[in-house]
Amino acid sequence: MSRDLLHQDEIRSLVRDAYGSIDGGSRAVAEKLYSPDELEGVPALALDNALGVANHLRHARIEPGHTVLDLGCGSGIDSVLAARRTGPTGRVIALDFLAEMLERTSAVAREAGLDNVEPLEGEMEAIPLPDSTVDCVISNGVLNLSPRKARALAECARVLRPGGEFCVADVTVEEEELPPEVLTHPAAWAG
Amino acid sequence: MAGALTERDFVQKLERAGFVDIEVLERSTMGIDDCALYPLFTEELLATMRRLIPAERLGHVAVIAIIRATRA
Repeated sequence: MSRDLLHQDEIRSLVRDAYGSIDGGSRAVAEKLYSPDELEGVPALALDNALGVANHLRHARIEPGHTVLDLGCGSGIDSVLAARRTGPTGRVIALDFLAEMLERTSAVAREAGLDNVEPLEGEMEAIPLPDSTVDCVISNGVLNLSPRKARALAECARVLRPGGEFCVADVTVEEEELPPEVLTHPAAWAG
Repeated sequence: MAGALTERDFVQKLERAGFVDIEVLERSTMGIDDCALYPLFTEELLATMRRLIPAERLGHVAVIAIIRATRA
């Protein structure tokens, strides 16, 4: 069974509708993935809407002064945590294709007292940044949503400086695939 | 989840994109109870999964991988 059961535009529309309609989930995801120390001072809006799948930031080698791209920033929890590590001499570019998510990330960064988080509207398959301008790309549960993953990964490579790092957490599946009824369920593309 | 790759495919795509030193740093199992934490998994989808996925696989629906790679 091919995974390309839906057209690219259909997938984008499903993801856009599903994520655009989320408003205040549960803090359970944030509390499962991050330590209390990490969550200290992170605004409630980010905690209550965290949708990542793991704590990849523990493995991301983010240094003060770095430029970090958060691919699919959502409500901004990882952007805030990364921005604390880059410090004021660095910055986090928070990319999302949903204006609602960028507004949340902006609000969250403001409330956290960070002025080094820069929201950027765009798609991961066409990142609106110049070549070789980013030190580290982070992404949490986002690549699986892309209908053009090879293109999205090529874009990550393009914007990274040589020697820059990509640190990603994502859902993977094993060889035995899920039933077609699950693969074609609209919510399964966003979930 | 429906768009998720196998880990092998993910790593191959990273290689083709120009990444080197690709490391899978963590793997964790995602079961249906983990899926239920996310509002994107609707009750209808969760019910469909419970109905169609063999009971012995419900605790192991997917694997979360953390991967780090370097741009050559």
